Amino acid sequence: MKLPSQTLVGVGTLATGALFAAGALTIKSEAGYSGVGPNFLPWVVGIALLACGAFLVYEARSGGYREMEAPSGADVGHWRGFAWVSAGILANAALITTVGFILSCALCFVLAVRGFKSAEDRLDLSPRAWLTDAAIGFAIAAPVYWMFTQLLAINLPGLTSTGWL
Amino acid sequence: MEILNQLLHGFATAGTPINLLWCLLGCTIGTAVGVLPGIGPATAVAMLLPITLKVDPTASMIFFAGIYYGAMYGGSTTSILLNTPGESGSMVTAMEGNKMAKAGRAGAALATSAIGSFVAGTIATVLVTFCAPIVAQYAIKLGPPEYFMLMVLAFCTVSAVLGKSTLRGLTALFIGLAMGLVGIDQISGQARYTAGVPELLDGLEVVLIAVGLFAVSEALYNVLYEGKTVETENPMSKVHMTKEEWKRSWPAWLRATAIGFPFGTIPAGGSEIPTFLSYATEKKLSKHPEEFGTKGAIEGVAGPEAANNAAITATLIPLLTLGIPTSNTTAILLGAFQNYGIQPGPQLFDKNSGLVWALIASLYIGNVMLLILNLPLVGMWVKLLKIPKSYLYAGILIFATVGVYGMRQSAFDLVLLYAIGLIGVVMRRFDFPTAPVVVGMILGPLAEAQMRNALSIGEGKWGVFVERPGSLSLLIVVVAVLVLPRLMKVVRARRA
Repeated sequence: MKLPSQTLVGVGTLATGALFAAGALTIKSEAGYSGVGPNFLPWVVGIALLACGAFLVYEARSGGYREMEAPSGADVGHWRGFAWVSAGILANAALITTVGFILSCALCFVLAVRGFKSAEDRLDLSPRAWLTDAAIGFAIAAPVYWMFTQLLAINLPGLTSTGWL
Repeated sequence: MEILNQLLHGFATAGTPINLLWCLLGCTIGTAVGVLPGIGPATAVAMLLPITLKVDPTASMIFFAGIYYGAMYGGSTTSILLNTPGESGSMVTAMEGNKMAKAGRAGAALATSAIGSFVAGTIATVLVTFCAPIVAQYAIKLGPPEYFMLMVLAFCTVSAVLGKSTLRGLTALFIGLAMGLVGIDQISGQARYTAGVPELLDGLEVVLIAVGLFAVSEALYNVLYEGKTVETENPMSKVHMTKEEWKRSWPAWLRATAIGFPFGTIPAGGSEIPTFLSYATEKKLSKHPEEFGTKGAIEGVAGPEAANNAAITATLIPLLTLGIPTSNTTAILLGAFQNYGIQPGPQLFDKNSGLVWALIASLYIGNVMLLILNLPLVGMWVKLLKIPKSYLYAGILIFATVGVYGMRQSAFDLVLLYAIGLIGVVMRRFDFPTAPVVVGMILGPLAEAQMRNALSIGEGKWGVFVERPGSLSLLIVVVAVLVLPRLMKVVRARRA
C-alpha cells in the first residue's frame, strides 16, 4: 500500500479527533458530586483520537504503518464493480419507503450482482441476465419480508398495505 | 444442589417445543453462517436483532446462543474444505485441516473437529454451570470503581494486547468510544454529538454499526479487491475416524479444553491465543511430529477446534456475570440484552434467573443438536460452498437491510449503513481491528457511567481507584497487561 493513503487515514483520524474535541466544547460541564461532568469523556476521546491520528501520520511518513499485514486481494481496487454495488445500496435507501421492501431489495440485489460479476470479469448486461437475477432477488427478499411482517409482526415498508408486497 | 435444581428448571424452560424450535433454528442458521464465507456469527446476530422487538427474551437469547455456537461448528467445515482461512478462531484448524483434506482425509478432519467441539463445548458448559453462579456471588460485592477497572482491562486487552499494532488497536477503540458518545448522556440527560438530528438522540444503533462494519464492508471489500481471487475446494471423503484416530484425538480434545476455557473467562477475549497455544502443545507432545505441516496431523485439528469452542463457551461467564463482553459477538449479545432493558451482571442471576438458566440449559441441548447437524448432515452444508460469490454477497446485502431497517424503520439509517461500510473497508485495507470498535461502542457508555459513579463515591477524587484494594489490584493487572508484553519483547531483543 502506498504511503500517501496511509497518511490520509491518519489525517482522517486527526479530523475525527478535532471534530469530537470541538464538540466537547459545546457540552455543559455540570459536574455534580463526581467532579467530572458529561463533557469529560468527550474530551478524553477527542484528545486521544488527535494523538492516535498524529502517531498514524508519523508512522505513515516514516516508513509506513508498523507491523502491518499486507491486505488480501488485488493491489488496485475494481472501482466499476464498487460503483454498481454502491448504487445498489443507495438506491435501496432511496426507494425502500416508496416501492416497498421486496422490490427495492430485489433491485439492490440485481445491481450488486452486476458489480460482483464485473469484478470477476463476467459482467452480463443482457436482458435475460437482468431478469434471472431480479427473479432470484425477489425469491430471497419476499420470504424474508413475509417472515418478518407475517410471523414476527415487525414493520417493513410495502408497496401496498397488504403485508404481502 | 441449588444449582442443579435451577439447571433442571432451565431445562424445563428450554425444553418446551417452541424454545427447542428456536434453538434448532439458531443452530441451523449458525452453522450456515459459519460455513458461508463473508458472514460470521456477529453479523448474523446483529442482522437478526430486530426480532428482539417482538420475540420474548428467553426465546431470542436461546436463538442467538444457537447462532453463536453453530457458527463455530460450521466455521471449521469451511476452513478444512476451502483453502482460505475464514474465522480467526479457525485459522489454526485450517493449517492442519487443509493438509489432511489434500491428503484425502477431509472426513476424518471434519469428524474430529465436530466431535471435539462437542466434547469441549459440553465440558465448558458444565464448567459455566458451576462457575458462573460463584463468580456472580463475588461480583455482587464489586463497586463502581472495580467495575470501571474491569472494563478498562477489557478495553486494554481487546485493543492493545490482542492485535498486532497497539496504535491501530487504540485508534479503533477510541473510534468505538466516540460512536458510543452519540446520544443522550445517561447520568445528566444531556444530548451529545447529535447535531440536532432527532434520530441521533437514541444513540447509534448497534445493528447499524455491526452490520455496516462486518457485512456491508465485507461486500464492498470483496467487490473492490477480491474479484479475481479464486477459491479452491478440497475433495470430501467419508466422515469417519479410525480407532487410531480416536486414540489420538481424545487427549488433544481434553488438553485443549483445559487451555481454552480459562482464556475465555478472563476479559481478554478472542480465541486466537488459546487455539495457537493448543496447536503448539499438540505439536510438541505428538508422537507423529513429522505429520505436522506435511500430510496433516489429526491432533492439530482436534486440539485447536476444541480450544476454540471451550474459549467461546467460557466468554459467557464475563458476559453473564459481569456484563463485560470480550468479543464482537458477545458485545452484540450484550446489545440484545439491553434491547430488553436487561443489564447482564451479578444481579442477572437473581433478577432473571429463569432466563439465565434456560440459556445455559439450551447450550447443552444446542451442543447435541449441532453434533447431529454437523456429522451426518455435513454433506448438506458443503453444498452451501457452491453458491456463487455474487449471489452470496448480494443476498447478504438484503439481510443487512432487514436488520438495519427493521430495527428503526429509517431510510436514513441505510445511508449511514453505507458510510459505516466504507469506514470498514478502510479499516480492513489498513489492518485496523474491528472488535475494539464494537466493544468500545457498547461498553463505553457503561464504563463512563461506572467511572462517574465511582468518582461520586470518592467525592470527586481520583484516589478512589487506588484506595480500594479491589480496584487497586485490578489497576495493577491493567498496567501489567500493558507493560509486561513490551518488557518481554525488549528483554528478548537484548538477549538475541
